[in-house]
Amino acid sequence: MTETTTAGTEFPFAPLPPADAIEHLKRLMADRPMTKTTMPYGGDVWIVHRNQAARTILADRRFVREPFRTGERIVPFFVPFPDFLRTTLQFEDPPQHTKLRKLVQKAISPRRVRDMRASAVAFANELIDGMIARGGVRNLITEYSVPLPIEMLSSLLGVPSADREKFERWSSSTMAVAGKSEDEVATDLAELSAYMTDLIAQRREEPRDDLLSALAHAREKDETLTDAEILPIAFILIVGGFDNTANFLTTGVMSLLHSDEQRELFLTDPDGLAPTAAEEVLRHGGFALGGPVGGGGGLVPFVATEDVVVDGQLIAKGEAVSIDPGSANHDPEAIEDPGRFDITRKDNPHLMLSHGLHHCLGAPLARMEMQVGLAEIFKRIPTLRLAGEPVVRRDVLTQPMTDLPIAW
Amino acid sequence: MPKVFYIQPDGSETVVEAVAGDSVMQTAVRNGVSGIVGQCGGSLSCATCHVFLAEENADDFAPVSEDEDEMLDCAATEREDNSRLSCQLVLADGQEVRVTVPEAQL
Repeated sequence: MTETTTAGTEFPFAPLPPADAIEHLKRLMADRPMTKTTMPYGGDVWIVHRNQAARTILADRRFVREPFRTGERIVPFFVPFPDFLRTTLQFEDPPQHTKLRKLVQKAISPRRVRDMRASAVAFANELIDGMIARGGVRNLITEYSVPLPIEMLSSLLGVPSADREKFERWSSSTMAVAGKSEDEVATDLAELSAYMTDLIAQRREEPRDDLLSALAHAREKDETLTDAEILPIAFILIVGGFDNTANFLTTGVMSLLHSDEQRELFLTDPDGLAPTAAEEVLRHGGFALGGPVGGGGGLVPFVATEDVVVDGQLIAKGEAVSIDPGSANHDPEAIEDPGRFDITRKDNPHLMLSHGLHHCLGAPLARMEMQVGLAEIFKRIPTLRLAGEPVVRRDVLTQPMTDLPIAW
Repeated sequence: MPKVFYIQPDGSETVVEAVAGDSVMQTAVRNGVSGIVGQCGGSLSCATCHVFLAEENADDFAPVSEDEDEMLDCAATEREDNSRLSCQLVLADGQEVRVTVPEAQL
């Protein structure tokens, strides 16, 4: 029999044109639910491809992160996992995870985020006003995608307006968007820690209606939180809240600029289509940019506390397991016509924000910022166009884009 | 076999035959009922499976726990007296349950 497709079942695989990558993933998922892979750091990990298998694992408490938190195990990953991230909520297991998460949850809940929406719209428009006034070719990343989430998170945490410039510098540096050296990043991180510690002390004295005040006073409800516990919460929000959201917002703008058909559709009703468009960008945005896509992604791994069989595959006690959202988001068993970029897609069970106990705590905020960010810029500048190729830093954890020239 | 009637905000209704021991949220997610997200998989940490429970079923389930109560305050659609998180509504054999899905979960 003659083979009619070049799609293989090897994993990880080198970047391929998006349609070929999706075909490759399809074949891979038909072949097996997961693949054992040796990571550049930390050894072997099962990378889970299928959507349902991924959900099963993410909802199973027999998979934990303790060995990574304690340092007993190195996190199997593409880059060395920064130490400061290993002290955050995402590396905790119940019951400590439950306690910390509950404290942050209320401040960042769908309800609270809904109340922040008007100020996000106002700030997005301020940023757009600035870009229009300056004219010419603008950098979408530094003038729009990064400042919007920074403003929202500063407001949520309770960073005073006067300090936001400093906060932005430290935080951006932490996330390597600024392209600084390791020493500079360490210095900025130390300054940020000192600043946040002072701010927490101030909020202990004089609480306001913000997250740091709420966390600083949680001890009154017999849920004692020390500075050492509050700081990592602030850091994980900074990590997830700035860099990732900025990246997704940029990807959203770019993917719409790459598809005339979907952009024209979006322009007919930006506010109405923003919610489903944001979900589709999360699911498929990286594939909708037109460039080659590789296979080898993975969320933060877990370790099996006992032998567990998932989708017919034994994951032995002590083995690490990680979910590949790029693959799970293109599983034809879960997503209809997964290769199509469709901003009207309603049934969209993507796993880009994870699922289960460790699903993204900032998901409501990230979604709102993406929806507002996409809708406002296309409403104000419907003739938006790309004026060059993006600059991407591939040497750091979140692979941030640092420059995207746009014009209109 | 339990049966769940999901009523959408536009009045349309989906009936699903469920498995005893599954929650109303799990049943919805497994059967592709729209409007119930269940992002945290039932660990009481997302409030994205909010439903309004029909009056006739009010006494069929354990009352709202303290944790559920706190999360209901966080839901995207304003809570009402009959608001529940559907992950906490665990179905028993023979039960027939009606829930209305709110306008927004996210």
